Formats: sequence, structure tokens, C-alpha cells
Amino acid sequence: MRSISLFFRSVTKSLVLVTLLCSMAVSSANAQDAAAGAAIFKQKCTACHGIDKAVVGPALKGIDTKYDEAWLLKWIKNAPAFIASGDAKAVKAAEYSPAMMSAFPELSDDDIKNIVAYVKVGDVKPAADPNAAAGAAGAPADKGGVSNFMLFGLLAVIIIAFLVILVLNRVITTLERVMLQKKGIAVEEEDGAETKDRFEGLKKLSKNKKFILFIVILCVIFLGSAGWKGMWETGVHTGYQPVQPIKFSHQLHAGVNKIDCQYCHSGAFTSKNASIPSLNVCMNCHNYVTASEKYDGKTSPEIMKIYNALDYNEETKVYGNDTKPVEWIRIHNLPDLAYFNHSQHVSVAGIECQNCHGPIQTMEEVYQYSPLTMKWCINCHKQTEVNHKDNPYYDKLIAAHDKLKKGGKVTAAVLGGLECAKCHY
Amino acid sequence: MESNKKYWKGLEELQNTKDFVEKNKNEFAEPLPMEEVLNEAGLSTVTPRRDFLKALGFGLGAVTLAACQTTPVHKSIPYLVKPEEIVPGIPNYYTSTFNGHSVLVKTREGRPIKIEGNPNCILSKGSLDAKGQASVLDLYDVSKLKNPVLNDSESSWAKIDEYVKAELAKIKAGGKKIRIVSSTVNSPSTKAAIADFTAQYPNTKHVQVDAVSYTGIIKANENSFGKVVLPKYRFDRADLIVSFGADFLGTWISPVEFSRQYTSKRNNTALQGKKMSRHIQFETGMSLTGTNADARLPLKPSEEGIALLNLYAALGGAVIGTKPLANNPNAEKAIALTAKELAAAKGRALVISGSNDVSTQIVVNAINSILGSYGTTIDLDNPSYQYAGNDAEFAEFVNEMNRSEVDAVFFLNTNPAYEFNDTKAFTNALSKVKLRVSFADRKDETASLCQVIAPNHHYLESWGDSNPVEGYYTIVQPAINPVNNSRNAEQGLLIWSEGAVTDYYQYIQNNWAKTVLAQSATSWKDLLQKGSVSLPERSAGTYTFSRELDSVVQTILAESNTLAKGGDNAVELHIYQNVSIGDGKSANNPWLQELPDPVSKVTWDNYAAINAKFAEKLGIAENDLVEIKTDKYTITLPVLIQPGQAYGTVSVALGYGRTKAGKAGSEVGKNAYPFLRLVNATFHTATAASLSKASGTYELAQTQTHHSIEGRNIVRETTLKDYLKDPNSGTGHAHVNHYDLWNEYEQPGHSWVMAIDLNACTGCGACIVACNAENNIPVVGREEVRRRREMHWIRIDRYYTVNEGGNKVTEEKEVEKLENIDNVSVIHQPMMCQHCDHAPCETVCPVLATVHSSEGLNQMAYNRCIGTRYCANNCPYKVRRFNWFNYWNDSRFDNYMNNEFTQLVLNPDVTSRSRGVMEKCSMCVQRIQAGKLQAKLEKRTLKDGDIKVACQQTCPTNAIIFGDGNDPESEVSKALKSERTYYVLEELNVKPGVGYQTKVRNTVEV
Repeated sequence: MRSISLFFRSVTKSLVLVTLLCSMAVSSANAQDAAAGAAIFKQKCTACHGIDKAVVGPALKGIDTKYDEAWLLKWIKNAPAFIASGDAKAVKAAEYSPAMMSAFPELSDDDIKNIVAYVKVGDVKPAADPNAAAGAAGAPADKGGVSNFMLFGLLAVIIIAFLVILVLNRVITTLERVMLQKKGIAVEEEDGAETKDRFEGLKKLSKNKKFILFIVILCVIFLGSAGWKGMWETGVHTGYQPVQPIKFSHQLHAGVNKIDCQYCHSGAFTSKNASIPSLNVCMNCHNYVTASEKYDGKTSPEIMKIYNALDYNEETKVYGNDTKPVEWIRIHNLPDLAYFNHSQHVSVAGIECQNCHGPIQTMEEVYQYSPLTMKWCINCHKQTEVNHKDNPYYDKLIAAHDKLKKGGKVTAAVLGGLECAKCHY
Repeated sequence: MESNKKYWKGLEELQNTKDFVEKNKNEFAEPLPMEEVLNEAGLSTVTPRRDFLKALGFGLGAVTLAACQTTPVHKSIPYLVKPEEIVPGIPNYYTSTFNGHSVLVKTREGRPIKIEGNPNCILSKGSLDAKGQASVLDLYDVSKLKNPVLNDSESSWAKIDEYVKAELAKIKAGGKKIRIVSSTVNSPSTKAAIADFTAQYPNTKHVQVDAVSYTGIIKANENSFGKVVLPKYRFDRADLIVSFGADFLGTWISPVEFSRQYTSKRNNTALQGKKMSRHIQFETGMSLTGTNADARLPLKPSEEGIALLNLYAALGGAVIGTKPLANNPNAEKAIALTAKELAAAKGRALVISGSNDVSTQIVVNAINSILGSYGTTIDLDNPSYQYAGNDAEFAEFVNEMNRSEVDAVFFLNTNPAYEFNDTKAFTNALSKVKLRVSFADRKDETASLCQVIAPNHHYLESWGDSNPVEGYYTIVQPAINPVNNSRNAEQGLLIWSEGAVTDYYQYIQNNWAKTVLAQSATSWKDLLQKGSVSLPERSAGTYTFSRELDSVVQTILAESNTLAKGGDNAVELHIYQNVSIGDGKSANNPWLQELPDPVSKVTWDNYAAINAKFAEKLGIAENDLVEIKTDKYTITLPVLIQPGQAYGTVSVALGYGRTKAGKAGSEVGKNAYPFLRLVNATFHTATAASLSKASGTYELAQTQTHHSIEGRNIVRETTLKDYLKDPNSGTGHAHVNHYDLWNEYEQPGHSWVMAIDLNACTGCGACIVACNAENNIPVVGREEVRRRREMHWIRIDRYYTVNEGGNKVTEEKEVEKLENIDNVSVIHQPMMCQHCDHAPCETVCPVLATVHSSEGLNQMAYNRCIGTRYCANNCPYKVRRFNWFNYWNDSRFDNYMNNEFTQLVLNPDVTSRSRGVMEKCSMCVQRIQAGKLQAKLEKRTLKDGDIKVACQQTCPTNAIIFGDGNDPESEVSKALKSERTYYVLEELNVKPGVGYQTKVRNTVEV
């Protein structure tokens, strides 16, 4: 099912993208410099400014009418110097609290003009939407899906019911015949002619022992393999994708914005737990990244959940005391009896997160990619070579191993990675 | 096999009683009831077809339904704002102080899970005793108060403060007395807070009283040298130690420090320097210290003072009026010999006494003065402040209350309603006091008599400090936010005295800034990092005893006569503290309750220990109930026949019989405090009593003969003389033919091995509790211990052996003929999984749940185990434990773990085993893995000492050494190269990974 939903998702995504590109091509012809301005704006300005909303600095909508271009050029390029020069407007603008406008001497006049153009036009609405659309399209495909188990079950029930009916029918006719025979009524002749015509083929088949054997074997194989498969997959939750309290998108954060995994999951490099980031880590960016451009100038409802959890007031920038923790739902659950340490795998072995967590940078909502079974662990330990270069810890072990095995492949398994007490204690 | 000395764990083993033989036939004493099922009646029972089908159908349905359970949803809740220093999954360590010893508190995600000694601590050097290890569990005790209590109902701090302040104002106006009663306070800040309180309410006096008092020593030093101090003893400077009833390795003053000092003269290093101290112990009951002595003599309490006088006389002291010990010629002879040895060891000798009698201690001072101990082995100028209680002051306080002179009383860390010898008098007197405030953390015996209970923090929740010995200051630092609505007692005092600073944390900082930090030029942060500050030691002066002993002699003789009053059932009752429960303050700690007494191996009870011959005379057998009676108090206790107990005496442990300790500790054993006598202004622990058989028996939960080793030669010992001649002596090294059924496997990487020095191990049991805490070992309770189902992964086997005259008894038959089994010596042997390279358990496991690792560990995969118990049956060391129940989730074993709160103490790196699986020592594999990972992360080789297993880490005497046997430079490799090393049951060729070093006794041929 995972593959089906993924397929659905990629199809809808590409469809949406194509339509968007078309519409962009039409609408963005006159916004050439605004697009360039948008890039610079996001890079340089968003830390303090929003278009419609005050962040640290004031909201910028309408600056093009409030100030003339020459003034803006001077102001943006080097505000402190401009204020020092004693320009009346600049001195007045400098009164804005809490922060002073910084100097951006690296910006060219064209850059600044582009920024102003961008501020004038604002965000081109549809351009920001592909992810949301894709997400919306992807979700129902997911939820509408019928699980494998149910399909197989239904099929099995139908087949069994059919067989039961068939057998019962046979039993009834046989019994009836016997009863009638007992009463001394000869039946063969009465029905003989008609049945022969109708069920002749079937009857012949049912008397064909080879055919029956074939059917029985087929059933046994089918039910047996289904049962076998079902049993092996008991407790394996590949594809587990619970609904999380916040619709956090790894696709956006890790995929589009390319934020390093470590930035949030710092524990993965030092500790047993990769650790879900605490909300103060979120606030490092979401202090000013509010995605308001997608929500008509209002803060995204998902980001609002962070603010609510922290009892953070957007307007006054003050944290309150009415905090509520965010209850994420754990996706990757190892049983208690297995000890797993992220730092061993990430820092020491240098394994990419994606090795176990799959294409996390493309996941709108995270799902369990790997089966997390012991077989899966063991297979990897058998195949993966130990990352022993430049790690003096391994020198003695590798030397000892070389003496024994004369330069064979040094996998985790060779250094005892399959032993019980490596993971179970 | 040169030694055929017979060792035995208990009298039943020595005598091979029927019951013992029966129970030891199998590894598991209680067989499964297979016979009941498979007997004739069982087999011939007819199950009708319909019943069979019903059962089958129901079973199938039930199993199907049970399997339909959906996978539980696991929540993962991160911090809202993560403290910078906390990384989930990585422990943090904070310095704090337990009982004057600087400790490190291991916390995981903000909750303390283990206490370890701080290597910077000058007393413990990184080790810790059983009580310290167990103290973390008290934090999670559900029997504690959740809120302050005012007039028997839960209240708030504001109301408490309002009430107490109003009362105090009235009392101040009335001008009557205010008393703060506490056990010894050696915290400078607490003292300052009390001083501030006294300044505000000038009628206040601070009365210190210890449940087990050392007033006798303090008073004697005042009398002899004019110094009101408890001296600092230097066992590491004593070549000859003579102790009269002082259990200095177990309970006396500062056992962790003393154990370390004592062993430094007896361990491998000392022996390689061809030297070893000699230790002679005279005592009534068999104490932990007595078991370690080179020579031990049973002595009645009535004889102790006289023996000391005679020793003094024999050393040339002027004594008039003493008499020989007519009834104990052995002791008389021994005293003469001891005097000779002491005279030869002047300046290197130390004589101590456990008595709390001032006169007796004055004689001890006189002896030490002759021996020149002052300035060498005894230091009066750097005294210990660990005990400063004054018995007379407390007695006077009770009188004051009786005379209605006291209007307010505050109880801090003391519980007189339980610990005072006359509970009734105390209760009556207390009822005459208007304002009664207790700082107890629970509604204990005293607190339930008070209107106000202002629960104090656990030490892991609070700020504080301590000054256990002169010049050594330690800090108490909280490792968790207060769990309940409790408050520092000192903060209460500060608030009630309306001082300028009412925040105790600030108060401590101010106090330290003025005093110790200024003197030592240390910053507050450095202090928190290091945990303590040591100021330079003063030089120890020499002191000479120069007083008349006439009145002392008279007092001692009179006291001796009182104790030995004679009569039919007369016994001399000896009251002592045992190693685990001590004075009973932590009686509600199940880890301590289940820690077997180091000598008797009894858990969960106290008992009347008597001598075998004496028991025979009285017609009493083991486990019989006896009545111990004085004119004031009577208790009924089960009897334990204790080899080595002085004839005509009975020993009873304090600390039991609490009525309001909590879930685990209430109504365990009987209270022996009422037997204490106030004589000449000190509480005496010996009294004359009568002993008579009561009806009934009571089975003690005793682990001593569980896991019998079937008379195999597994403990080895030698004498110093033989050792010096041949360091190999006693190891039983002989050529053993090694035929192997197994393939040889190499351990190319690490090879984890252990070395245990039997000469360093004192048997204190700290390792057992450390292992409990580290490895989530469940407490099973008294009833299960009786069924031989204790779960401890490490046990300390205690073996008795008999000395007869100068000749050791070698043949088993001779032992049986022996009449006098009192002259026993003892060996303690820590025993845990030996991690055999050719492990017999591994070959018999049908499911490969226990297999060997390439690092030499015998691994146990709990989830593979199906509980056949073959492995335990095949283990020659009897170290495998079967988990019979889910002890943490079964209402029948509600000792402590059956609530989510107490479960917070569990080590998250170790699985909590379920029922039906076998478990055993893993050599702290979680610590091995963590140590290796740390080295890998830091890209360095693994250093010796990076990984310390829990038992090794806490051992006060460094008897357990763990490390990599493949590293020739490691401490363990060096230890195993010692000539004294032997392997237990080496002849079985199971190739154990744990090597033992022989016990060496410094015996002197008579």
C-alpha cells in the first residue's frame, strides 16, 4: 500500500506542478524583478521583516508609497550612516523600537529596487502552494486505501462460503436421495436426465480425483502462504504513519530547506536517542518564519500550535506560563528488550539517516520505512563494513582480526556484531 | 589440593541435617507439582469429550481474542524548552553528599537513578557502603508525605508558617523553653540556621542525640585529655589492631573510611611488600569486623571492661582492684598474649572499644596512651564530627518536658518515640509540650505525635552541606526538583526566625562565601564541580594519659556485676546495629531489608543470636521463638544459632520493629531500643536479661545455605607465615589435566575478566546493593527468600571453619566430633557468574538463550529464554537466578516497585526481566558497551579503568577488579598474575573468567 500511496502522491504532485508552472508563466511575466527581489528578501530581510506583519522590524507593505526610491536606497544600504547624516525622515524612522535597521552595503541598487518591487507585489500566491496541494491530494489517497489484509480476508471468506455452499448442497442432495431411497422411491430415473444435462461437466470434474487433489493443494498453498506471511508480519509496522499533533513536513524542512538532520535531532550524534527537538529549537526559526504568506497574512495554524504549546504571544513576543507539551506519536518503536544507540551508528559508523529512515527528505508525513526486525538488523551487520579508518579504538581489533582472517572484509558481524549482548541486556 | 580444611556455611550444613540434605538435592528447592498431575488419580481422571471440546474451543477463542490486541500507541513527548545540559539518553552526574561522604549522583533525563562515591572524597575515595547505594530508592518512597501536615490534616506551607510563627511569638512572650532535638548535625549551614533561630528565640537550645550513641568516647576524651571530641582513627597506620566489640568495618563511626584504611594494610600491595597488619577482636556477637579478624575471642559484655583493665595492667598500667576473668580462662590467656604483642608494636598499634561506657573508654584511652597511639594511630586534633550526640542532655530534655518547662520542640532527623529507650515516658512528656513540630519526611513514630509535620527534602532534592571531619567540607546539591510538597527544614527555621535571608540556597552560599570558600580560595562553581573542600590538616599532637583509675575501676566492676547477675535463665543481652539496617532510619528501604546480614545471612528480620552449646543447654533449637525479658521490656524473637557467639549471651539487632516506617519497613522484626539503659549519663547497649523458650517457631528468611557448594573446596586460605615462605601456598595449584570437549575460541578483541581479592573483601555487602540498583534486580520479599528465590546476581558466601588449638581441623570426621565450634574463623567470598569460557550452562540450553561472546562474556538473551532452568541446574557455581514472578507488577510482591513512581529508579539501559526467564550477572555489559562507545566516539583506544562494573565501583576496599585480560598492563591482568590467584573449581576445566586471590591470615602460632 505504501507504494500505491507513494505512486499516487508523485502523480498528483507532478500534475499540480505542471499546472502551476503554466499559470506561473502567465502571471510572472511582469514580475521579473519581483522574483529576484523575493530571493534576496528571504535571504536578507525575513529575519526582521514581514510584508504584512511586524516581526522585529515593522511590516513593509506600503513602503514604496511612504518613501521615495532614492531615500529607500540610502536607508537600506546603510541606515546607521543615513541617520547619522541627520536626514529628518531617517531620524524619525530610527525611533522604531525594539531594533535598529542594519546596514546592507553588499546590496546593489538593482537588488534594492528588486526588493522594493517584491514588497510592492507581495508573494505570488499560487507559487507557494504545491506542497500543500500535494499533501491534500496525498492524504485522502492514503486514508481511502483498503488494506491488503482486508482484501485477502474478503476473498478467503467468499471462497470458503462458496465451498461450504457447494459441499452443503451436495450433502443435502445425497441425504435427500438416501431418504427417498429408504422410503423406497426410486429417484435416479426422475432426475437423472435433467441433472445429467445441467451438471454433467461439474460432476465429472468432482469425480476426477486428480482435479480435486489439485484444488486442495492449491487451497492449502494459498491459505498457508497467506498465513505464513501474516505471521511473519505480526508486530512489523513498516509503513506505520500515525497522524501527528503538528503536521510537520520533513519534505519542506529537510528536503526543500535542506536543514541538516543534526540541527533538530542533535541526540543522534551523541546519544542513544535521536531525540525529538524541544520547541525552543523550533523557535530558533519560527520566531519569525510564520508562513503567513500562505495564510493571508496570518500565522500558519501549524506554527500556531508551537506558539500555543509554549504559550507564546506573537504580538508581544512574550512567553507565558500556560505551557502544554506536544505529544508526538512515536513511529519507530523498538521493543524494550533491544538496545539501540544512534551515536554508535551515526557518529562512529557514519551511516546516513536515510539508510534506516528512508527518503525522509521527501516525506510529507513520516512513516516507518524499515521493518525494524532483528533479521533486518542482522543483515545490515553482516554486510556493512566497519568504519574503522582514523579511529584508533579499532586498531587493535583490526590487527587481531587480520591475524586470524588475513585481510577479509571487516563487517560489524566479524567484530562480534551478531552477539546477543551487543543489543540485548 | 593441599588444603582439606572443612568449610561450612551454616550449622545445618555442618551437621548435614535431613532438611538441609533434602533441600539441597536440587538446584530449585521446590519441585514443580508434576507428581500431583501425573499420579494415578490424575491420569485416570476422565475428561468427557464435550468438556474437552468446550475447553478447546474456549482456549482457541481466548487466544485469538488476546492476539487481536492493537499495537499500543507510544507517545514521545520532548521538552518544551530543553535544559542545555540534558541530552536524553546520556546520564549526567552531580556531586552531592550522603552521610558526610561526597557522592556522585547519576541522573537520566533529570531523575537520579544511582549513587556512586566521589573519587575526590577523602573518606571514601569513590566507594560507598550499602546504605549509600540504597539511599536513591528512598527518594522514590511512596510512604513519604505529599504535603505538610497541620493537626493531622494536609495543609500548606503558608498556613504552617502562620501557625508556627504565631505559636512561637506566644511562647517567646511566655518565656518558657524551646528545644530543637536532632541527631548529630555537622552541617555548618544548619548549625548557623539553628544559631539564627536561637538568636530570635533566646530560650532555644539545640539537643543532639544519636540513636546509637558515641557519647562515651567523647566524654572519656574530655575526662582524659580535656578534649570533647570523637577522634580520628588511622587504621592505615596500625600494624596491630585490637578491638573490643567495635564493629569498625561494619557500623562503627565511619566504616567505609575504616574499611579502606584497614585493607590498605592487608591487600595485595601490602602483601607484596611482605607485610600485613594483625587484627585481634574480642566481642560478644559475631560482627562483620569479627569475621575479618586474624584472631577472635568471644567475650561477654560483663567481661569487656575487666578484660580492658587486665590488658592495661599487663601493659604496665597502674590498676588497683581488678580481678581476673575467672569464667573465661581463654580470654585471660588471650589478654596476656595480646599485651605482649601490643608491647612489641608500640606506636603502630591501636586499641578501640565499641562500648558507650565512659569508664571503659577511659581505660581504652589509658591503654592507647601507653602504646603511644596518640599522634600516630589516633588523632585528637583533627576530630570526627560524624557523631556528637549527648545522651545526658537528651535525658534531661525529657525531664524538662515532664516538668512542663518546654513549650516548643522541633524534631530534626530524629525519631525518639522509636529510638528512645522509654517510649511511654517520652510520649507522656511530649504531650505536655504546646508546640510540637517534626521535620520528618513521613508520619513516623515521633511525627505522628506532633501537630505540625513540615516534611524535609530528601538529600537528593535539597541544598545543604556537611563537615564530617575537621577541615573537610562537602556540599549537598539537589539532583531533582522536590517530588513532594516538601521544604528544607533549615528554610523553615529561617522563615520562622524572620531572618534577612529566608532562601536556604542563598543562605548556604552566603555562609560558604564567608567561611570555607574564603579560606580555601575556591569558587562556588569549583565547589559544585569537585563536591568538597579540604583545608590543610592540623598536625596530630601526642597526648599522655595521667589520671587515677580508681573510680573507673570501681564503676567497671559494678557494671560488670549488674550485667552478670546470674540466675537460671539469665543471659547478657547485647544490642548491636547490623550492617544493612543500622539504626533503623532507613528501615523502609527494601533493598536494605533484603540485603542478607553479612554474618547470619538473615533478611527481613532481626533475631536472637545465641551460642550453640548455650542453646542446647536451654533446650532451644534454631527458629524456636524465645522470650527476652528485662524488668522493663519483653520481646519474642526467633532464635538463630550463631557460631562464635559468647556463651551465655544473646545478641539482638537494633533498627527493626518500626511501627510507622512505611510500606516495606513497618512491622519487620522487633524493636530492641527499649533494652538500652541509661547508666552514668550514657546509653549502654548491654543489659542483663532472662531468656526463656516461648511457644512456636518462626522461620527466618536466611540465604546462608542456599546454593550450597556440596563441600567442594572453593575457598582457599593460607597464613601470613606460609605465604611469606611460599606465595603460592593455599591456592591448591596442582597440575590439572585439561581435556577439552569444546573447541578453542579466541577472544581477539577484549577479554573481560575479573579478579577478587578474598583478603580485601570484608563482606560488607555494598556490592550487592550497587548491583541491585544498576541492574534493576527485583526485591522478592521475605516469603520468597524462604523459598530460596532471592534474585541477587552477586552474593557473598560466608564460610565458617573451625580452629582448634593451634592445629587446623582437616578431616571432616574431626569436625563432627568437635565440641567447641565457637572458635570459628570466617571467609567471605563474593560469588557471581564466573563467565566461564567453557560454560556448562551454555551447552545445556535448548534454545541458545545463553551463549558466549567473543569478548569472554557469558551472555543471557532474556527473550530467548523459555525457562527450562537446565542452565541453573548445570551451573557448578549456582549463580543463575530464575525469575518466578513479575515482581514489579504483581500485587503479591508489593514491596516497592508496584507503582509507576518508584519505577523511575530503574536503570533505563537495562531490561526489566519478566517472569519465567533465567537471569544472572552480565558483568554490567551495559557499562562495557557504554565505555567502548565512548572510546569510539572520542576516537581513542579504550583505557584501563574506563569501564568499572557496579560492584567494583562501590567496593570500599577495592576487592573487586575488572578489566581487559588481553591488555597486559591492565590492573586486572596484573592482579591475576599474583601468586595467590586461584580459580574456583578449576579442576572442572570450565575456565572461569573470575580469579580469586587467597585469604591470608596473620595468625600467630601459640
